[in-house]
Amino acid sequence: MSITVKISDDKTTATISVSGRFDFSLHNEFRKSYKDAGVKGGSFVLDLASTEYMDSSALGMLLMLKEFADSAASKIRIIHINNDIRDILTIASFDKLFTLE
Amino acid sequence: MTNATRVLIVDDDLINRMVLTALLSAAGYVVSEAVDGQQAVSVFQEQAFDIVLLDIMMPVMDGYQAAKIIKQNSTRFVPIIFLTALTDDQALAKCLESGGDDFLIKPYNHIVLRAKIDSMLRIAALYKKVEAQNLELNEYHHRVQQEIDVGKTVFSKILSGASRTTHSGLHYSMSPMSIFNGDMIVAEKNKSGGLDIMISDFTGHGLSAAIGSIPVSDIFAAMTSKGFAFSEILAECNNKLKKMLPTQMFMAAAFISIDRSNHVVTVVNCGLPEVYLVRNGAVVKAFKSMNLPLGIIQQAAENYAYEMEAIQFGDSMLAMTDGVLEAQNSSAEMYGKQRLLSNLKANVSASGLMDKILQDCAQHAADVGQSDDITLLEFSYLESVETVVRQEVAKALKPAQWSMRFSLDMQSLRNFDILPYIMQGINGLQSIPNGRSTVHTILTEIYANALDHGLLNLDSSMKNSPDGYLAFYQEKQRRLDTIVKGNVQIELAHELKPGGGGKLVIHVIDSGKGFDFLKRNTDLSNNAGYSGRGMGLIQKLCTEVRFLGKGNVIMAVYEWAEPNAIKLTM
Repeated sequence: MSITVKISDDKTTATISVSGRFDFSLHNEFRKSYKDAGVKGGSFVLDLASTEYMDSSALGMLLMLKEFADSAASKIRIIHINNDIRDILTIASFDKLFTLE
Repeated sequence: MTNATRVLIVDDDLINRMVLTALLSAAGYVVSEAVDGQQAVSVFQEQAFDIVLLDIMMPVMDGYQAAKIIKQNSTRFVPIIFLTALTDDQALAKCLESGGDDFLIKPYNHIVLRAKIDSMLRIAALYKKVEAQNLELNEYHHRVQQEIDVGKTVFSKILSGASRTTHSGLHYSMSPMSIFNGDMIVAEKNKSGGLDIMISDFTGHGLSAAIGSIPVSDIFAAMTSKGFAFSEILAECNNKLKKMLPTQMFMAAAFISIDRSNHVVTVVNCGLPEVYLVRNGAVVKAFKSMNLPLGIIQQAAENYAYEMEAIQFGDSMLAMTDGVLEAQNSSAEMYGKQRLLSNLKANVSASGLMDKILQDCAQHAADVGQSDDITLLEFSYLESVETVVRQEVAKALKPAQWSMRFSLDMQSLRNFDILPYIMQGINGLQSIPNGRSTVHTILTEIYANALDHGLLNLDSSMKNSPDGYLAFYQEKQRRLDTIVKGNVQIELAHELKPGGGGKLVIHVIDSGKGFDFLKRNTDLSNNAGYSGRGMGLIQKLCTEVRFLGKGNVIMAVYEWAEPNAIKLTM
């Protein structure tokens, strides 16, 4: 519901959009979103355009996504980051782990 | 006990009872009979039934009344089906109101009756299952609650060790749940007489988040007291957590090191909100997070980004976990950095800054109540410090005769802090009663002297102002990184003194060009400035200090006596 996944026709890109609060309640749904996407050697795009808030467990979930993407030889891009969320990501220095656009 | 279904038939009409009994017995049910409501109630109390078939119009007590009492008395779900000749809506509605679960209008079809009984029994079985699961859940919940309580007790005992609480100038506030949720503050006195403080916050909540703080507090306490550099403590904590924690868990932390001898604060911020240096009611420096939180990637000590700033007596350091900034009011508005900063400015007096912020934050969230963990700390840099006398753990190793020698090239000098290892080595060899920290101080000063002035040829007059310290340290780092050739040698020799006690002779030799030591003013009274304190201190602590060679060799002698040595007179 709060997470929608769009997979490109060639199965190389999965765009995961999170709407509302990105917190622990989305844990299972988020994990399912990238595991079921079937992307290998492609890229995951995390679209935060309609994400209102992100807590530290969401940061943890990003680390899980990174671990998964690394093991699937895939890249991660995070797009449409609003200022509040950029603050949270920057405080945690996640710009060193992810491409923030 | 058989599995056969037990049915209670309640009817004042003999024929009705006989027909039902014959029908249900043939279908394999165990059947009992009652002739009116009163009898039904008493039979129900004596025997267990799975279902009750109840007539309405009966002498003594009617079916409505009986249904009420039976439902009240039963501890489990026993379905009641009314069998009635009444057909008006009100009478049928009353069947259900009085506690009946269904009704069947006479004359009834046998097949429908059997089907209704079976359907009711299925519902009863479902009830039973839910009840059993509930019971199990309750027990489980109870057990978990107990374990959590025990965990909490053990946990707060581990983390509320005295090291955290007894430093003058350090105040903090932690909401009780926050300790168990992985917030932590630890502080240890460092070798400058100042304080090393760590405030940290684990991702997630509850026990799993809290567990990681135990090894971290242990590592912090052990390494700080041994005199390890900040970045090394950090790297050790980080690598331990990386090994220990699952991927999605990490620890945000800020390390604050107050150097009392040089009046410098060093902050390494790894994912916490800004740490503030407050002077005269104004934020003079905000230490932003420049590093990843701990436990995410393996990282070497030298890769941690840190910031240094000169401090003055009366300054305050303020650090907090994100619970403070994220405290929400009823319209889901966070307390936020802007409110915090304006509150800092409004409260010009440095003391009690923390309490003011706590108050303001609580007021902000007053209509919702505290939802998250709030951890806040304030350190006031005071001129006078109560000395906390810490009992040294006397390992009572007998004094011995020994010597050791270290030679460090530039590569080693850059990457390695040898002093903690030397101290560990001495401790392993023997105890120096009441002298351990003195030896540490002497070695630290002599070594720093040889490195800074001897080898790196830094000018100590740079340090004549508080701001100069920063420049001094930056220049030191630059020279350490660029100078290719050079070395420092440290020689220690300990010998026993006749009559108890011992004598430690220290030689520190650097490859620098030396200086004209005969011209050096060794009068302590002239050493009140920022620099030169080190040498004065060494002279105070040692029985003999001499420069040798071309000024590139320092020799210092430290003598110690057995405490409580009783002289026997014959």
